[in-house]
Amino acid sequence: MCLAIPMEVVAIDGMAARCRAKGIERQVSLFLLQDEPVAAGDFVMVHVGYAIQKVTPQEARSAWELYDEMLAFRSEGSHA
Amino acid sequence: MTTAQQWLDRISALRLPRPFKVMNVCGGHERSIAMAGLRRALPPGIELVPGPGCPVCVCPEEAVYQAIRLALSEKVILVAFGDMLRVPVNVPKGEIRSLEEARAAGGEVLPIASPREAVEIARYNRDRRVVFFAAGFETTTAPVAAMLMEGVPDNLSVLLAGRRTWPAVAMLLESETPGFDALVAPGHVSTVMGPEEWAFVPERHGIPAAVAGFTAESLIAALHSVLRQLIEGCCFLDNCYPELVRPGGNSAARRQLDAVMEVVDANWRGIGVIPASGFALREAFRAHDATRLYPSFADAARKRAGQMPPGCDCARVVLGRIYPDECVLYGRACTPRTPVGPCMVSDEGACRIWWSSGVRTARKRVLEPSAS
Repeated sequence: MCLAIPMEVVAIDGMAARCRAKGIERQVSLFLLQDEPVAAGDFVMVHVGYAIQKVTPQEARSAWELYDEMLAFRSEGSHA
Repeated sequence: MTTAQQWLDRISALRLPRPFKVMNVCGGHERSIAMAGLRRALPPGIELVPGPGCPVCVCPEEAVYQAIRLALSEKVILVAFGDMLRVPVNVPKGEIRSLEEARAAGGEVLPIASPREAVEIARYNRDRRVVFFAAGFETTTAPVAAMLMEGVPDNLSVLLAGRRTWPAVAMLLESETPGFDALVAPGHVSTVMGPEEWAFVPERHGIPAAVAGFTAESLIAALHSVLRQLIEGCCFLDNCYPELVRPGGNSAARRQLDAVMEVVDANWRGIGVIPASGFALREAFRAHDATRLYPSFADAARKRAGQMPPGCDCARVVLGRIYPDECVLYGRACTPRTPVGPCMVSDEGACRIWWSSGVRTARKRVLEPSAS
């Protein structure tokens, strides 16, 4: 449950951000990131719909590589 | 950047004076370790043991039972993270033993992926009472606190089973047999709470510790750090996930947790009460506290209340006392299709992760006692 997914902030409206990853857009709450300035174009780690920390684009990419492997691993696991 | 292979080469070059056992306390770490086949890639003499890293696994059986009764007897809309739905309680054969079965029996039970969905469901169902059964460690409990801080509809309440990770590790370290020589500390718990929470491990117990992220590189770097500490006979708290884990953690998240919840002694399924290991809603949020709003369905006469299912060794798996495949039920009576215990239900349960990584049969294996 502690898995977090990096997403790119597309637009911000108050405490809500529209974020994108892998072509999918989601509403994400910025309520837990009130102490940090967040702007469109930033990357954030999203856990259960809440951004928990800002990340660099590089960190977002390496996390996504991991999750791609993990998704492949999970589907293998469930079909085996 | 140092690659996973380079880190592994560095580990292979280390001269270990004796075998070492390293514990991780995060289901995400265990999944990465299993997925990367890290145990097989390590030189002999290094054991990686999964410890308390699965909040669903330790969620009190009584709380799951209460959630089932709320869905059935109180006719609430019960929402919970998907992992919780198949967690079994101990009831006589034929009775409803999980939230999933409660839903099949006509109870309104909805899986959600975010606290924000709980709010939306409550808004769309103004004439209904909605209870959010929220189990999780700090990373998940902070968003629950944020949800309440932001304001929720009157008809939404929370049945909270939030747990803190480090007190479980402290309990192990204070026991006579901690069972590990070094600790890989959880990355996203530390992102929220700050790495300092884990400083007691080296400072009070002389046990090396390193915070790790979830890539193989970060995990193996953390492993290398604690092994070097062991060899050199020093110990400190290393941070191998500095991209996310900053001093003090996420200050806004910690502030909100503190504003909404207080730290309390809490029950861990099959393990018992661990001091200061749980969260409870503060008085100011009593109007949204399901433990105050609804009758307790606790029944002292219910057999095995609070325990793991009969024969299930989940509690010892959670504590790192045994490996998943040392449970006699593993791969026999207990598989992801027919899980007996919560460790085979949750995506963060060590049994489920080991099964997914291809370990399909239980084996007789006696753990070497820790050399420390």
